[in-house]
Amino acid sequence: MTDIDIHAPGRVELLLGNEAIARGALEAGVGFISGYPGTPSSEVIPTIAAIAKRNNIYAEWAANEKVAMEAAAGASFAGIRSMAVMKQNGVNVAVDFIGNLQMTGIKAGMVLLVADDPGPLSSSNEEDTRIVAKWMDFPLLEPCCAQEAKDMTKWAFEVSEQCGLICMVRTVSRIGHTRANVKLGELPEVEKKAYYKDTWNMYHPTKGIHCTVGGFDAGLHPGKIKKFATVKKIFAEAPQEFNWYTGPDKPELLIITSGVAYIYSKEALKILKLEDKVGILKLGTTWPLPEEIVEKHLTNTEKILFVEELEPFLERNVMELAANLPSGTPHINFHGMRSGHMRGYGDVNVDLVIDAVLKIVGGTYEPRDMTYGSEIEELAKAVPGRPWELCPGCPYRPFFWTVKTALQIDGRDGFSLVDVGCYTLGAFNAGYWQGRTTHAMGSSFGVSCGLGKLQQFGFSQPILAMVGDSTFFHASIPALVSGTWNNANFIAVVMDNSATAMTGHQPHPGLATTVMGDPATPISTEAVCRSMGCRVEVCDPFDMEATKNVILDLLSDDGGVKVLIVSRLCELVRARAEKKPPFKVHVDPEKCIGEDCGCARLCTRMFHCPGLMWDEKAGKAVIDEIMCAGCGVCADICPKGAIIKEAT
Amino acid sequence: MVNKIIPDTKTKGHRDLVEDVIKAGLCIYCGACANGCPYLIASHGRIIVLDNCDRTEGQCYQFCPRTFTDMDALARKIFGQPFSNAEFGFANELLLARSTDKQIQDRCQDGGVVTTLLCLGLEAGIIDAALAARMNVDKTPHGFVARTKEQLLECTGTSYEPCPTLQTLNQLPDDSNEKFAVVSLPCHSEAIAKMKTYSTRNRVSIENVKLVIGLFCGWTLAEGFHQFMQERFDLPSVVKFDIPHHPGHTFDAFYEDGSKKDIELEDIRDFINPACTFCWDMTAELADVSVGSGRAKYRGWNTLIVRTEAGAEIVALAKERGLLETQPLPEENVTNLRRAALNKKKNAVRELRAKYDGQLGYLGLSETIAQKLSSD
Repeated sequence: MTDIDIHAPGRVELLLGNEAIARGALEAGVGFISGYPGTPSSEVIPTIAAIAKRNNIYAEWAANEKVAMEAAAGASFAGIRSMAVMKQNGVNVAVDFIGNLQMTGIKAGMVLLVADDPGPLSSSNEEDTRIVAKWMDFPLLEPCCAQEAKDMTKWAFEVSEQCGLICMVRTVSRIGHTRANVKLGELPEVEKKAYYKDTWNMYHPTKGIHCTVGGFDAGLHPGKIKKFATVKKIFAEAPQEFNWYTGPDKPELLIITSGVAYIYSKEALKILKLEDKVGILKLGTTWPLPEEIVEKHLTNTEKILFVEELEPFLERNVMELAANLPSGTPHINFHGMRSGHMRGYGDVNVDLVIDAVLKIVGGTYEPRDMTYGSEIEELAKAVPGRPWELCPGCPYRPFFWTVKTALQIDGRDGFSLVDVGCYTLGAFNAGYWQGRTTHAMGSSFGVSCGLGKLQQFGFSQPILAMVGDSTFFHASIPALVSGTWNNANFIAVVMDNSATAMTGHQPHPGLATTVMGDPATPISTEAVCRSMGCRVEVCDPFDMEATKNVILDLLSDDGGVKVLIVSRLCELVRARAEKKPPFKVHVDPEKCIGEDCGCARLCTRMFHCPGLMWDEKAGKAVIDEIMCAGCGVCADICPKGAIIKEAT
Repeated sequence: MVNKIIPDTKTKGHRDLVEDVIKAGLCIYCGACANGCPYLIASHGRIIVLDNCDRTEGQCYQFCPRTFTDMDALARKIFGQPFSNAEFGFANELLLARSTDKQIQDRCQDGGVVTTLLCLGLEAGIIDAALAARMNVDKTPHGFVARTKEQLLECTGTSYEPCPTLQTLNQLPDDSNEKFAVVSLPCHSEAIAKMKTYSTRNRVSIENVKLVIGLFCGWTLAEGFHQFMQERFDLPSVVKFDIPHHPGHTFDAFYEDGSKKDIELEDIRDFINPACTFCWDMTAELADVSVGSGRAKYRGWNTLIVRTEAGAEIVALAKERGLLETQPLPEENVTNLRRAALNKKKNAVRELRAKYDGQLGYLGLSETIAQKLSSD
């Protein structure tokens, strides 16, 4: 595998979209990059971190995306080109700062890389962040493939520097996580010298001040409007074409599209053999819209179809333009989400585009014979369901099991709230349906601050708010402070597996090594919680009996916020470090009496660790030696003691 | 809310147990359904369903003394005849009895008969262990397996709270060969009778239970009672509780230093377990022997009903070895016993008919007996 910082302009490499973005930043001479792990953006920072030191770059994971944005802005203020990387939810976290940053502006080029996740494929919600560029007035670029991802990222730094605002590059999962050929560019020789030059000037005290309060230096907002107005010109002078038209001179139907939706549109027209009838206007600089090219093609057709994902962003923006077309322009029929031709949820695919196009231009398309659909449906019945599952050996499995037992024993209709991470699976079959709400990072503590103060309205249900160790540092501390100080009654559970596991085991402030491989002093979750003065207990989830007793004790404690730290290493982290499993586990075929046990298959049906299987022929439980992590927890589950664990 | 009528005798699963018994207010917390499988436990005064076992039939429903019970079938299994229409069930002998063992006398509730019979059982090899209720330091009772005289002495004294003793029976090793005695409230002995009649599976064999010593019972004191006691007594220092019979009107707690504190019976009536209202059995009719207090006139004695061969054997042995002092139960006591036992049956029948729209709910009695219990 070639290094991402190879000096080989013109060479074609097979790169992941996120690797291409990293390369683009390198080609722009980036000096500072910060972010928070979030699918589908996570690979950008580690890719750069791996070569950061030899390229005089600083890369980090921040505690959350707002801090990441602020840190990148700090670097920009001091003259270092910077980038902040996050998924759609990260923008939500950072947006308070962005709103202020746009007023004061940036210095060295600063790029906001946002990777949305339509579907969602791996997110708590799906969300179209393009609107943030319109909301906050900054330029937006949407790459349609890995090559554009690289080229646009590189150019985005220049755009930002030229207009004095951040520039956003917005990808989706299918761009960031696809591998494609990318032609590399030059790597610049850049002098990176950091100095904040807007210090106090005794003769002009307000000059250069980066302050939004009271609209200081009257004209911050008008100033932003002015800066934004320059972007149109900057876009017009782009070094390469990101907006183009392909199709007949006078198309029957014009598709206006951007991002990966362009690829689907292209493929749809090819399949339908309509390339000589239907045209595609592919846009890459999508805010502000490139008015000239859009207006040109608007007046060239009477039917338009907008192909984009999640929000009618292009659709509405183009319609705004259309409202200003000269009178006498023939009426245009717009199709898209508003008309119901495209749907406003989930990611787009070729079939959806085919359907929409045919609805407008007429005609039929039969991809395969009529019986295929029903054949597939029959076949599908034989495919076993594959719900999400926690890894074998995951400490969260026995913990959710114990929570379930403890809440039943408590008997007051208690329930759990979860945030975003591996432990989100607590809300599903994997975690025995224990998490009853999931929102954003930090929300479970926050929502509990409300639920925990409803005693005067007769609320008496105990609540367990669960966060992971990375989530704790990301967003939970303010809510924990608020709940403790306001004396809200809830159990704050920190599921500490010493990893930001769900997104790929990135380091976080509770760990001892940074993304660049430098040592760091871990911040102790336990110490932070104790310093707030709340009751703090620590338990080992593998000891289910002791954990159950701690939970029962905490459930009966009405005194404000109680913290329970559930401490055991993520199994994948442990396995990589220790290599061998702690136990060799097997089922004693004499002791296991299968269905006759009356336990109704407690091990495989209810506990369902992937390491446990049911041997249909023998009618007994058996350990899957390949899947089993050897944690030994299931030995405590079997009521007949038929699961045997032997220390290795 | 109209209570569900239970005419059908089919065994069902835990969901039906929850609907038919627990939610219907019949559960007397005997523990027969608990700890036989990973899904049901008895804890904190409630039967708790931990998860959905998905089975449509199970032993939890089958052995519960408050699901449909064919009384004749049980009586045939234990006594070889249909359910007795006698007010206090089959009785071979009616006695007053008390222990001659000083150690037992010092600690026992009334006459020490239960402890004496159990100690004898261990000594003579009739049993290897006894399952009895033992009180914690805070006086909550729990099922306990005693294998020595010392351990039996820890189980003396009456607790008036429900005890899920049978949960402990269900937890014994499947392959255990130990011979057991079980000290049972009437509800426990009904559940054991069901287990004997229908056989236990995947747990310790019910054949291991060689002796059931039943205790007389009017009602237990449940929800909120323990808290009530905690506020009034220094429970860890209490050595004995007692509710002296009529004309007594107090609930007494005796301390180590010999002092006594009491509360009016009136004040604890609210804690009477409502589920006990539907109980027909005052004298534990399905046990091998049944033991109650000697009442006001015979303080320090037990009333002892000998019912089965197993019961007769151990009582005879006790007499032979001079461990028990006995006398026939005086006529007056027999009359009172008949009246009290009949009253409880009639009350139960009346309450059940009111609850089940004229039917008898779980109580599977023959027409004749049902008629008799329904007349005033």
